[in-house]
Amino acid sequence: MSTTRTNEEWLHDLNASGALQEAAIADLRDLLLRAALYFFSRNLGDFRGLNGDEITQRAEDCAQDALIAVLKHLPDFRGDSKFTTWAYKFAINIAMMTSRRERWKGVSLDEIASSEESNFFEWIMQDKSDGAVPEQSAMQGEVRSIIQDVIKHDLTDKQRHVVSMMIFNEVPMDEVVRHLGTNRNAVYKMLHDARRKIKSSLQARGFQVSEMLSLFSTSG
Amino acid sequence: MKRDRFERWLRRIYHTQDEEISCSECFDAMAHFVEVELSGEDPVIKMPQVKQHLDQCPACHEEYETLRDLQRLENEDELPSADDLQDLIP
Repeated sequence: MSTTRTNEEWLHDLNASGALQEAAIADLRDLLLRAALYFFSRNLGDFRGLNGDEITQRAEDCAQDALIAVLKHLPDFRGDSKFTTWAYKFAINIAMMTSRRERWKGVSLDEIASSEESNFFEWIMQDKSDGAVPEQSAMQGEVRSIIQDVIKHDLTDKQRHVVSMMIFNEVPMDEVVRHLGTNRNAVYKMLHDARRKIKSSLQARGFQVSEMLSLFSTSG
Repeated sequence: MKRDRFERWLRRIYHTQDEEISCSECFDAMAHFVEVELSGEDPVIKMPQVKQHLDQCPACHEEYETLRDLQRLENEDELPSADDLQDLIP
């Protein structure tokens, strides 16, 4: 059975030729299909409007793409995990992109990005201090105001755009990546830079960030 | 709902480090991270930066959780067949 190969056997068989290689590729493809189907089965809400056959076809496509990715990256396998664990991650990654694309199909991210900035700032500033004593409420307002200032004045347009889409609108990472024509690393860096700027501004204004967290956690 | 989202974001701001690994670096280390975790060791001790990234990045975190659960099934010899999984899809 496919999953009983050792790492060495996987590498040997996939790098062999003829029937040995064909069998290994078929077994690998089956495992990748199972990984894609497993991801889809946990995220069926992303596929509203598609029937079972269409979803299965998406999983078959993911398995094929993942197979190509695994074979391409085979020389990178370091052997610090089971081969199957390493291979599954390619299928899961591709299945996740497919899944999110289906969920957000037909949604205009341009529209979201252009129309929601004022709502975004409103969201940051909204008063959610029910149950907080006045002093606590005032401090919450100050924290929110600092965050809004940083977003308005210290972030680049792209950073602001990404924060608005991902934090306020909860657009998934891979859809933002697709929308901007970039990659996960670039989007993650924009978010990281934005977080760093906000954290350092809060600290510069005397807010120890851990205190700020408890300030919000203890309120209404 | 919105308040949860704001608090979650504040928590991420609080846990922000000057240096954080990228999604690609996390992807490269993910299988090893899962392997260590499923062996019963604490992967956070060995790979704190991976854990830090997973806490900050919902996309990578979801991949990690799926990989961990899938690998656990395989380790327990309970990985469903493609046919069984297709039966779960309406």
